[in-house]
Amino acid sequence: MNWNCEDVEEKLSEYLEGELAPADEAACAAHIAGCEKCRELSATVRGLIGAMHALEPIAAPVRLAPAILVRTLGPKEDLRGWRAWFGWLRPVWQPRIAYGALTVMLTVVVLSQALGIQWRRPTLADLNPVNLYHSADRQAHLVYARGAKFFGDLRVVYEIESRLQPSEPEPQPKKAPEAQPSSPGKSEGPSGKPLDLNRAGFGRGYQTRAASILWLVPARSIR
Amino acid sequence: MEPDAQLVQQCIRGDGAAWEELVRRHTRRIYNLCYRFTSQRQEAEDLSQEVFLRVYKTLPSYRSQYGAFGTWVTSVTRNLLIDHYRRTRRDRLTDSMEDVMPQVEQKEAAGRRPDHSAAVVELSMHLQKALAKISPDLREAVILRDLEGLDYREIQQVLEVPEGTVKSRINRGRIELARVLDQMGVRPN
Repeated sequence: MNWNCEDVEEKLSEYLEGELAPADEAACAAHIAGCEKCRELSATVRGLIGAMHALEPIAAPVRLAPAILVRTLGPKEDLRGWRAWFGWLRPVWQPRIAYGALTVMLTVVVLSQALGIQWRRPTLADLNPVNLYHSADRQAHLVYARGAKFFGDLRVVYEIESRLQPSEPEPQPKKAPEAQPSSPGKSEGPSGKPLDLNRAGFGRGYQTRAASILWLVPARSIR
Repeated sequence: MEPDAQLVQQCIRGDGAAWEELVRRHTRRIYNLCYRFTSQRQEAEDLSQEVFLRVYKTLPSYRSQYGAFGTWVTSVTRNLLIDHYRRTRRDRLTDSMEDVMPQVEQKEAAGRRPDHSAAVVELSMHLQKALAKISPDLREAVILRDLEGLDYREIQQVLEVPEGTVKSRINRGRIELARVLDQMGVRPN
């Protein structure tokens, strides 16, 4: 397909940016090669694009950004008195900084506890690496021993519980007629109600007492 | 560096420092856009302030899924520039920029080889004059593409016209600009 000057002018930018289909590009190039006017226009536009891309942005006036901030946020506070002295601390009051500081403090407390540092009566020996290592080692073993004892106690409680509880629920005794005497295994209380002395009820009370004793044991026994 | 969309969210929550950062990032680009369009230093400064004022007021309406913050600000700038163009059409003095431009361009070109910087300053001056002589539709398309470096998709978002129209305007704008420069006796290489 042969292109004329109008075709070239219409598609010149796409031709110069290499966005034409190969057939169109060839047709455009062929016309430009043979047309003095289009060749000159193409060269000028190519040079113009290159020159514009090479131009650097102009620097904005120095006063522009502050002026924008004044118009949007208002004038900056003129700090006086104690505010002027402590004004630089304003960024520190941000929640994220406070949260970070709190986290650091908690970490220091936990680590110092683990390392056995005495904050009330600090001594230089507390910072001795050997002492720090021994303290950390002792703490680690204590934590491990307490954990092991706790789980051992849980196992004992479970064992007691499983022995005291019946493996299968007992069948409910059929309701006896009121005139009949009380069933064997149950005695009557002072009010006339039957006392609950069967195995399950007894087991529950025993289990509670055993558990309460075992919960108290570890702390004392480790020390 | 925090992305613009995150800074916008912080601004909406009332973080002044985030807004300051956004202004710092985009001031130069918006000022350039205004200056290239109006050819007036003071007008460009005033318009840049207006742009940021409008952006600040309408910040909660910005949605990052519709495009980059920079494109949105450019869109706001373009609308303001068109409003300004229509408002000042009657009393515009096309040749009033000559006493202003050399100062700006010379300041920017400082620190380069004298012959190179002089040529750049001269070309930039002529280019600015030529830009002022073509129609605003073509001018804004050429500025966005060749001076601001936006791609076709971004220009399409800013101008809110189809891609074919964007390409056509850029092409016609470049040819118009080349002809105006030719009439002025300037031949860019």
